[in-house]
Amino acid sequence: MTVRADGRPPGEREPGAAPPPARQRLHPLTFVVGATRELLALLGAGAAGLLVGGLSTAFYFTLVGLAFGLVFHVTTWATFTYSVGEERVELRRALIGRTVTSIPRDRVRGVDVSATLGHRLLGLAVVRIDAGADGGEGELNAVSRREADRLRRVLLARAPVDAAAAPPARAVLARMRRRWFLYAPLSGAYLFTPFALAGSVLGFLYNLGDDLGLVTRDRVARLGHDVAGLPSAAVVAAAVALLLAMPIGSVIVFTLFNWDFTVTERDGSLVAERGLVTRRSVALERRRVRGVELTDNPFERAARVARVGALVTGLGDAAHRGRLLPAAPRAYAAAVAAAVVGPVPGPLVPHPPAARVRRIVRAAAPPLAVGAVAAAVGQGRVAVLCAVLTVLAVPLGLDRYRQLGHAADAHRFTLRSGSLLRRQVVVDRGAVVGWRVRQSLLQRRVGLATLDAAVGAGEGGYAGLDMAAPDAVAFAAGITPAWVEPFLEPVPRAAGRGG
Amino acid sequence: MTAVRGAPAGDGGDARPAARLRAPAHRVSRRAIAHWAIEYLLVFGPAFGLALGVAAWAGSAGWTGAPGAVAAHAGWLPVAVGAAGVLAVGVAPVWRYRVHRWEVSADVVYTRTGWFDREWLLVPVGRIQTVDAGQGWLERLLGLATVEINTASHTGSSELTGLPVGVATRLAEDLARRAHDLRDDAT
Repeated sequence: MTVRADGRPPGEREPGAAPPPARQRLHPLTFVVGATRELLALLGAGAAGLLVGGLSTAFYFTLVGLAFGLVFHVTTWATFTYSVGEERVELRRALIGRTVTSIPRDRVRGVDVSATLGHRLLGLAVVRIDAGADGGEGELNAVSRREADRLRRVLLARAPVDAAAAPPARAVLARMRRRWFLYAPLSGAYLFTPFALAGSVLGFLYNLGDDLGLVTRDRVARLGHDVAGLPSAAVVAAAVALLLAMPIGSVIVFTLFNWDFTVTERDGSLVAERGLVTRRSVALERRRVRGVELTDNPFERAARVARVGALVTGLGDAAHRGRLLPAAPRAYAAAVAAAVVGPVPGPLVPHPPAARVRRIVRAAAPPLAVGAVAAAVGQGRVAVLCAVLTVLAVPLGLDRYRQLGHAADAHRFTLRSGSLLRRQVVVDRGAVVGWRVRQSLLQRRVGLATLDAAVGAGEGGYAGLDMAAPDAVAFAAGITPAWVEPFLEPVPRAAGRGG
Repeated sequence: MTAVRGAPAGDGGDARPAARLRAPAHRVSRRAIAHWAIEYLLVFGPAFGLALGVAAWAGSAGWTGAPGAVAAHAGWLPVAVGAAGVLAVGVAPVWRYRVHRWEVSADVVYTRTGWFDREWLLVPVGRIQTVDAGQGWLERLLGLATVEINTASHTGSSELTGLPVGVATRLAEDLARRAHDLRDDAT
């Protein structure tokens, strides 16, 4: 297939070219999902209004809002068309003005398919097309599941795909086992998700009540008195119950999000599917996956569990969309990483002892400084607290040093750092777009340097912290000799190996 | 040079001797010293005035307790800011001039920047996405320009400050043309 990147405005074709592709509409049931959601919310509000104030203006407003919502959804559906051409995907919205989103097909980097409960009941799915910084984004909300699958295949395939052909073979790279859902409490994020959910529900109820005039100063004050008046045993019991509920809640939330988490590979893309209620699938174009990232925290390390993410060129929201495994035994995670980019280079080379001193000093210095100031101005308690933090910072610094490491083989290299959140990136050699060597005055005195590998994927740069200065340069020179060697100082052999 | 523990392992097989980057070939313009000095002056001048004001205000506020203990030493604040300012205006620009160097080889842009902390940056021309040459008002007065080199990664993007205008514009055009010719698909 030839790709022409001319600046022709969308819709205009050269004479004799293939006829413009057929315009398609979204699935007719689409508006049902949106309308139902609003219906429920408005019915709730309307019913509450009815209970409180009878047939008040609020209730009529609700009805009017409902009618507007329905009209809005129907017109959105009726005025929206999309077409998949040979070079571009075009999304047209023609209500008052006409907007055309045109996404060049050779820029498409990922296709997400997600379906909320409502969509799944109706056999629909939302398709999100991501084309990076210079391609833009488009959303098809919603099409039938078959159409979603077809779009994903067509948009991520390099060669034209025959829609009628049998779906190509797929290889399963990773699949969550049920047992692994029990790892959820190890990761802090899921531990606190129930609180966040409870907070947002409470906030929503409060706002709703406030809007309907149910929240008065009296009631709030009475509630406050009631809570304050509870016997302390009840408060303790509630706290204990909450503590017990946290891990259980985290397992439930984790399961909802990551149910049947599966990563498959088919015709040049990686597809990660997950979710119990809302089923989400993210497709990443294989050749844009330039590396992987293995992360864990101290708890996960103790349990030998790791998370896996992909480093993808030009992928927005990479933390969520690049996820390849939310939690799995380390060996399995390493096997998945190997299946995606190739074996992880190893063993890791530790960094010089001077780096240990630096890690400890950097961990302990902030609380020490605050503590010293606090002691100087006579804030005894703060000073003691800072002293405790300083003592705790020493093992943290030691562990940060222990986790530092780097290694490379003929095809890829790996850098590891961090303690509370340890990350090891494995990057394809070809993904490097530059090197940055940093040296502070203190690093210079002890012969250390930080090497940043600039990578056109993921976060854009990954640091090898506090490497021995000659090692940092040698590491870069080993990976891209042509770029670095012309700038090396000629080292006399005898002097260079001295030590 | 510091001792090296063994050979850097895993660099593709062959062990290399201890490696050091040499300095890039070209210095920036001498007028860059004036540019940096004026820039620092514009920051530290107002900061010094502010520090004087804060010290006067804190000294007359008559607080007690911990704030009072801090306020008693407020007189040191303008001294500290002033000392940092003198260092920044008098020493840093010359130091930076000695460190800042650049070089463009056949396929790599190599720069060294910083003064207290240093940075060596290697950006292959083939991975450059955009090249901009720009001038701030101060640079215009001094006949200087800055060349900004962007790659797909923020970490791999660099800025060459303090170049004479003519050099900067020629360099930017040259780099943009070669980047276009050499462009490979690492992004």
